[in-house]
Amino acid sequence: MTDVEQEKKLGNEQMKTRITGMGANFSYDETAYHLPVSFALTGIGVHDQKAALEVYEKTGGNALVASEIILAHETSVKGKEPDPYTGFVPDTILRKLGYSLVDGSILGLALIIGKPQNADSAAAICRELQEKYMLTFLAGDVVQSLSGAGVKLGLDYRLIPLGSTPFYGIHFVDIIARVAMMFGGVTPGDMHRLLHYAAERAKAIVIAFPGLTPEEVALADGMRVLGIPILTTGDYSGGDWITAAPTDIVRRGMEEKGIRVNVTAIPIPMGCSPAFEGKSIRKEEMYVEFGGGRSPAFELLRVQDASQVIDGEVTVIGPEVDSMKEGSANPLAILINVAGKTMKKDYEPVFERRIHNFVNYGEGSWHVAQRDLIWVRLSKEAVAKGVKIEHIGKLLASKFRMDFPELLDAVSVTLITDKEKVLAAKVEAERVYAERDARIKGMKDDEISTYYSCTLCQTFAPNHVCVITPERMGLCGALSWLDGKIAYEISPSGANQPVERGAVLNPITGEYEGVNRFVKKASHGEIDRISLYSVMECPMTCCGCFEAIALMLPEVNGIMVVNREYKGMTPSGMSFSTLAGTIGGGAQTPGFAGIAKNYILSDRFLQGDDGIGRLVWMPSQLKEELKERLEKILADRGMDGFFSKIADENTAATIEDLMVFLERVGHPALAMKPLV
Amino acid sequence: MTLKATFDWTQEIETITLGATKANGGTRKVAYTIGGGTTLPFLEPAGAAKAPLVAFEICDNPVFWPQVIRDYCGDLTNNPADWAKVAEAQYGADLVRLYLTSTRLRDFSDIGSVKTTVETVLSATGLPLIIEGSNEPKIDSEVFLKCGEAGQGERMLLGTAEAGRYRSLAAAALAYNHSIIAQSPIDVNLAKQLNILLREIGVQRDHIVIDPYTGSLGYGFEYSYSAMERIRFSAMKGDTDLAMPMICSPADSLTVKEVREHEPGLGDEMAVSWEFYTGLAAAAAGAEIICVRHPKTIPLLKQAFANLLPAAGNAGVP
Repeated sequence: MTDVEQEKKLGNEQMKTRITGMGANFSYDETAYHLPVSFALTGIGVHDQKAALEVYEKTGGNALVASEIILAHETSVKGKEPDPYTGFVPDTILRKLGYSLVDGSILGLALIIGKPQNADSAAAICRELQEKYMLTFLAGDVVQSLSGAGVKLGLDYRLIPLGSTPFYGIHFVDIIARVAMMFGGVTPGDMHRLLHYAAERAKAIVIAFPGLTPEEVALADGMRVLGIPILTTGDYSGGDWITAAPTDIVRRGMEEKGIRVNVTAIPIPMGCSPAFEGKSIRKEEMYVEFGGGRSPAFELLRVQDASQVIDGEVTVIGPEVDSMKEGSANPLAILINVAGKTMKKDYEPVFERRIHNFVNYGEGSWHVAQRDLIWVRLSKEAVAKGVKIEHIGKLLASKFRMDFPELLDAVSVTLITDKEKVLAAKVEAERVYAERDARIKGMKDDEISTYYSCTLCQTFAPNHVCVITPERMGLCGALSWLDGKIAYEISPSGANQPVERGAVLNPITGEYEGVNRFVKKASHGEIDRISLYSVMECPMTCCGCFEAIALMLPEVNGIMVVNREYKGMTPSGMSFSTLAGTIGGGAQTPGFAGIAKNYILSDRFLQGDDGIGRLVWMPSQLKEELKERLEKILADRGMDGFFSKIADENTAATIEDLMVFLERVGHPALAMKPLV
Repeated sequence: MTLKATFDWTQEIETITLGATKANGGTRKVAYTIGGGTTLPFLEPAGAAKAPLVAFEICDNPVFWPQVIRDYCGDLTNNPADWAKVAEAQYGADLVRLYLTSTRLRDFSDIGSVKTTVETVLSATGLPLIIEGSNEPKIDSEVFLKCGEAGQGERMLLGTAEAGRYRSLAAAALAYNHSIIAQSPIDVNLAKQLNILLREIGVQRDHIVIDPYTGSLGYGFEYSYSAMERIRFSAMKGDTDLAMPMICSPADSLTVKEVREHEPGLGDEMAVSWEFYTGLAAAAAGAEIICVRHPKTIPLLKQAFANLLPAAGNAGVP
């Protein structure tokens, strides 16, 4: 067992002695970057001992600089090593390597140094790196071990033997330094930018086998400053080196550095595409079904620690589809475990909603509803083609990885079809659902200072900007604050951007300095002010996707809401479609606001217009949809009985009828201060 | 009385260098700096005003080229080097835009030929080149690597990056110091998003030319016009992610019904008219490069641009 800290110290001292005693001039061939590490760090082109010492001192005796100086000196004295060793890689080849890195045909860089105890396991590690599109550099005895084990080396095989000792591993660092200068816009001497680039952009890992000299330990450990993780199979202790089993070391390293392999094909015997999303499976086309009130079924997606999720693992517990009776309803639990460095528990429900889309992408699979209300069907056609329950798992595991490569490192799926086990697992799921509800419910606009914008609709409503808050979702009803937050993390340059709320201008109407500033910019200067919670004063702009419209009825001093599904006439004298044509297209229309239906249930609804007591009319169907939840909310606010004071098309078809109705029930809006 | 033609804009359009002469490490006879605009097209004061450049489009496999052009240019269409030479010497083009249409053939695999073609065209003309590479994501990586290599030091303009596939182009631009065309489907926000993606991968702003996609006049050009206007307005108002020069190619105008089904003997006239009016409108919307396929469109555009530019001593809008 080698102690990293101790060896490193010793190595640094040894190198110091060697450098100070070094004479002659030295340089690498075929590069415009002098000694690249030294040049990148300090901007000094080293060609003689004087400059070398200057750089060495300037960088505080840095081990990378020291190694580079020593190796460059050795190379100039002894010349390059014979084949197969490449030694220093010239700029022209590097340009091609850098091209492949930017272009994505190489995912990252790996360096393997030292002497593996077992050539076969070293070969297996290399094979895994090749399969995962990593470009691997080799230095030290590992080269001979691999050749001995019959592994082909060379650029074509993405395995490059740098040199006969681990010390040649410094070329790995000069490659990264040059890539940073060639492709990353890092100016020589800008150490801060270089370190940032290496840490954030250079996807590099080091695997260290045993047998490193103190100097080589110092060199390897020095690479950590560039954000490169050093992995070992367990022959080094101390320091911040990571120990992992040979079979797990590549996965661990790539995960540590956030290098992800893109999934491109899904290995299932049916088509999988958004094109099939809208296709339903009717009863007579169905082979088996799950849930839908006919059998217990639920779905649950949870974030787990990376060590507990084996990527792509699909487990089926209970009978497979071939032992299920045609036309039968069976129990089903869809349990998905995901892991990712930036995954958060808060994202769980948003990701869980994607199960619905993904299952529907399958040509012969169908899914509706959510949580413990799900209803899933497999078609006869699909089952005849060999589709099994297991394939739904594969589809889900692959799609999650494909669609969220930045967020998810690993996805595993368990499908339970055994009734007792489904029921047992459901208890835990119910607990999680309740916990989530409590969490979302608890999120208040004034406790959060960052909202999210949505400008997805600017393609057809050029100046429209939605501002989405925890208590006011997007007017289309499809995007919550959490969705906006996640969308931003997934695609930082996309249509959902963070909006810093800034100073409060009016807490009642919900007007904020930061929001105004954002909207002004995002609306291309068209809109100066918006209030988040008012229909009357500077309401948000409308694209055309709103689920419902809230509008003032000055005659009755109230506000009515009409939803998209309602085809009839409203007391305003206009139908939904006429109203929609009047207010859409990205315009701000005081007195009118596009809203999501669920927003009616928010504490912020009509806050800037004297509260929900202004609500005078809604179509009966919408009332029915919201009744249970709205009545409870009203009761909590001490407004029992208010729900029945809201008119609908049956109680008040025209504005005159509405006036009569409101007076008869004693609607509070009549006594409020005039709307206009 | 004159009106101030700069409308309190705050942002200038980025300048981009096309082509490198011997002094700058290339072999071009001429190099251009496009962009740098401070106001709307043709409103710059005399002296600062520049006419848009006119690029002539050629290809290395005429199977994919409009019949009217194949008829007019004849045998030249089978020899990209000679065609490029004639474009410079006779047609009067400012730039040559080479489409590597050969890569669009089914199962194309002769990647080596890409490099040869680019090199031959480079030696046949002294004009800066625009290269349109593969149209097939599977071979993008190899094709753009070859294009980049072949033109190293020549500061070419490489096309065409789209939101779904821009990495190989970006890599070629970064590795060999070329600029790239970033195309979005007539949408200001998508144009911006692509530019941000390119920035994130490391392409500098002075290496990007926006292609807003050019519909044909009478067949949707008004959408392109409006997208271009908005791109330019946003840029002038301070959005640096959109403050790049634009390139327009009215290639679609050669496939409209009026050109395809022309009366006998009027083929060239129809093609030139459609290209000219679409190209002129694109220039009025702010394009810095107009690409055409009919040689006779070139002098017409150049004449029109000269007429639109302010005469010396006449500053501002009269």
